[in-house]
Amino acid sequence: MTVSFDGVFAVAYLVPLFPAIAFVVVGLFGTRLRRLEWGGWVAVFFSGLAMVLSLVIALGEGLNPGKFTDQTYTWLSLPHSGTGAFPGGFSLVMGTLVDPISALMLVVVNVVGFLVMLYSIGYMHHDKGLPRYYAELSLFLTAMNGLVLSDNLLEFFLFWELVGVCSYFLIGFYYEKPSAASAAKEAFLVTRIGDVLFLLGIFIYFAVYATAGAAPGWAASGFLFTSNGHPFLGTLVGTNTPLLTVAGLMMLAGAAGKSAQFPLHVWLPDAMEGPTTVSALIHAATMVAAGVYLLAVTSLFLGFTPADQLAIVAIGGFTTLFAATMALVHRDIKRVIAYSTISQLGYMVLAVGAGFTMVGLFHLWTHAFFKALLFLAAGSVIHAVGTQDLFRMGGLGRKMRLTTIAFAVGGLSLAGIPPFAGFWSKDDVLGSVLSQTASHPLYWPFFLCALITVFLTAYYIFRAFFLAFSGAAPRDASLPEAHEPPWVMRLPLVVLSGLAIVAGLLVFIPGFPNLLPGANVPPTYGTADLFLSGLSTALGVGGIGVAYSLWGNGRVFALPESSPFQPVRRLWLRLYFMKDAYDWIGLRGVYTIARAADFVDRYVIDGTIHGVERTFAELSRRLRKIQTGVVSDYAAYVVAGLAAFLLLLIFVAPWFLHAWGV
Amino acid sequence: MTSLPLADLLGLSAALLGIGLFGILTRRNFILLLIAVEISMNAAILNFVIFSAFLSGDAGVNGQAAAVVLVGLAATEVAVGLAIVLALNRQRGSINVAEASSLKL
Amino acid sequence: MSPEDLAFFGLAGVAVVTALLALLVRELVHTILWVSVFFVALAGLYFLLAAPFLGVLQLGVYAGAVTILLLFGVMVTRKRIFSREAATGIGPAPLGLALLTIVLLATGAATASTADRPLAMHPVVALANTLFGIDGGWLLLLGLTMLGALAGAIYLVREGRE
Repeated sequence: MTVSFDGVFAVAYLVPLFPAIAFVVVGLFGTRLRRLEWGGWVAVFFSGLAMVLSLVIALGEGLNPGKFTDQTYTWLSLPHSGTGAFPGGFSLVMGTLVDPISALMLVVVNVVGFLVMLYSIGYMHHDKGLPRYYAELSLFLTAMNGLVLSDNLLEFFLFWELVGVCSYFLIGFYYEKPSAASAAKEAFLVTRIGDVLFLLGIFIYFAVYATAGAAPGWAASGFLFTSNGHPFLGTLVGTNTPLLTVAGLMMLAGAAGKSAQFPLHVWLPDAMEGPTTVSALIHAATMVAAGVYLLAVTSLFLGFTPADQLAIVAIGGFTTLFAATMALVHRDIKRVIAYSTISQLGYMVLAVGAGFTMVGLFHLWTHAFFKALLFLAAGSVIHAVGTQDLFRMGGLGRKMRLTTIAFAVGGLSLAGIPPFAGFWSKDDVLGSVLSQTASHPLYWPFFLCALITVFLTAYYIFRAFFLAFSGAAPRDASLPEAHEPPWVMRLPLVVLSGLAIVAGLLVFIPGFPNLLPGANVPPTYGTADLFLSGLSTALGVGGIGVAYSLWGNGRVFALPESSPFQPVRRLWLRLYFMKDAYDWIGLRGVYTIARAADFVDRYVIDGTIHGVERTFAELSRRLRKIQTGVVSDYAAYVVAGLAAFLLLLIFVAPWFLHAWGV
Repeated sequence: MTSLPLADLLGLSAALLGIGLFGILTRRNFILLLIAVEISMNAAILNFVIFSAFLSGDAGVNGQAAAVVLVGLAATEVAVGLAIVLALNRQRGSINVAEASSLKL
Repeated sequence: MSPEDLAFFGLAGVAVVTALLALLVRELVHTILWVSVFFVALAGLYFLLAAPFLGVLQLGVYAGAVTILLLFGVMVTRKRIFSREAATGIGPAPLGLALLTIVLLATGAATASTADRPLAMHPVVALANTLFGIDGGWLLLLGLTMLGALAGAIYLVREGRE
């Protein structure tokens, strides 16, 4: 087939532009419309346009393997001068880069985005802030599409910050609620730590690559990721210097902030204060995946050193287990899924770190659909019963059959049961990392973390499932009668359920693997891989089985007070005391430093200034006394001056004249 | 005609200047102040005369000429000073310089 | 010691004593009397220092005009001419400063050449030439200064000025 998609690739900028139009329209006029939902439909319409266009782009990339289309607009250019800080010149550009992975990301962002937009019409219908909600959500889609399509590092960072801002707005959507406002601030500040380090990383890359040395043209070309369809710094990938290692670690820090990896994960569970739809779109499917996307872009276009890779594997592997354990005990349905998100993001980071960028992105792809599905299903439950407490729910399966099925599909996909989407990608991740353990023995513990997490994942998600849906009736009788949601909410559930089933199977369709060039999809199974697949499936089924035996059919399992696991449970419920530790650091550490700085400022710096000021004030207070206005006193000063002059003339001057031999 | 050494003569003018300065510093009456200034002035004129006596030719003549001019200037100064005394007396009813201290900050 | 030297010492003593008295007596009219004696003594000193023209000038201008002017000043500023000044204390600082100045000047004077040399006599004609000559123009300058001072004095004492 030789259909040319060049025209479509050239207008890729329309993808972020469509939601931007919606943002302007809804943001400016949303509150003046006769019905607030109309603004929502505008946003849905434009995100639908963006979705169609990104599907066409993805189709084009699938039919034209490895095609890079870079549209660049240079808006600032310092010419080549041969001297100074930028001997090779320096440019700042904006542009769109359509390549396989950005096409893949476009599909994820816009399909989930469109479905969430649609779902929100039903979920948010009662909310007075609907125009604000849709404006912010559209702005988020603009920023996210811009980030995905960025063709240079600086533009990437720009949109990176913009999605962060949107996340802040949307977490704090219910800003009258103190917990939501503080969660928004927390998310903003914690990710800011990562962002600052990310920026430092950009500076280091700039210093290493741009001003001098191996790639002097990088700055002149505006920090582009690619040139002529190849990574701009492609030949430098793998260069191992301490400075590049540090730069890679900075990128990891940025990704850890955005993707909520240990130790910057604390903000994501609290981000659940936002509307559930926001959690589905931003804090499960897209924005938090931006960190993984950053790692992918870095590894493809800038390169990681082996030390960086080990650090990434360690962070990712540890986070999978760390977050999964906390998901085991919580009773808030959204928080359980949030910890699950952190854990799954750990898988992606793990895969990218082990060198399998495309495998990580594959997991991102499948995870986006089934995690969005889980959130929307949970949203449907919350919408129906008005609580997020799993222990008050129960027996909802009878009333909400579609929601139950959707949640089950999402859960099975998350648990990695074949043939659901999660199975293929998770298996790919495990197999890839396992294949590296032979040459990198240090990867072993993190591989084992990931493997154990398969079991835990299946357990906690089905614990939530059974708690919510099984049994005869809600445990809390005061809950309102549950009902199925309206069609605008049911439709996304159905579509996402379908995607959660087939997203993994898509790899068997010719063309789709072109979006993930170099990934082992469709998988070619060796003996070890088959064994691993069997093992992880068994672990998943085992987890479901344990969950059923403890929580199935409306049972509630209470850990005996005398159980030796009680301290562990408390540890998990208290989130490993990390928030307390951060609070302590914030309160004690920062406050102490601030007090010290305050002391220095108040008494040392100000003291010096005031001391000088007081010295002169006192001096002039005394000196003005000699200015009496009485002529005789002035005469006295004249005479004193005369006497001093005579003293100099008679005693000092001769001494000098003598010394100079005059 | 005296034949005393230069140093002795200068000592006299130094003493007179000192007395004049002492008066300037201690007296508060404007007229007394003027008189003290005149004494100092006379010490300076005396100095010119002394040096001119010890120099021959044009240099010595110039010293005397300077003394003549200074005498004239001193007389002028007394005239202006007394005009100030009158103005001060009319404005404040007193010629005590300690009371005329509106120059201070 | 020649008679001239004796005369010099005598006149010098008179000058110093009268100057001190003029500043220390508490009757303002007495002050003017003592200072007129001081002016006369100084005129004598000028004669001794071979400057007879200056001596005459001193008598005319100082002993005559300035003294009368000062007396006039006392008359117009006082309701009663003979009234005592309030006693003013003499602080150590002004006294010390004046003494220090005297000592320093005397020290400087002591470094002057002690060579015994005859005093130079200057004919009054030479002085007149210098004072009125084209190259000197001393009196011209003095006259201009006096004119300015005259204008200033008239401005200061004119009626109706507050």
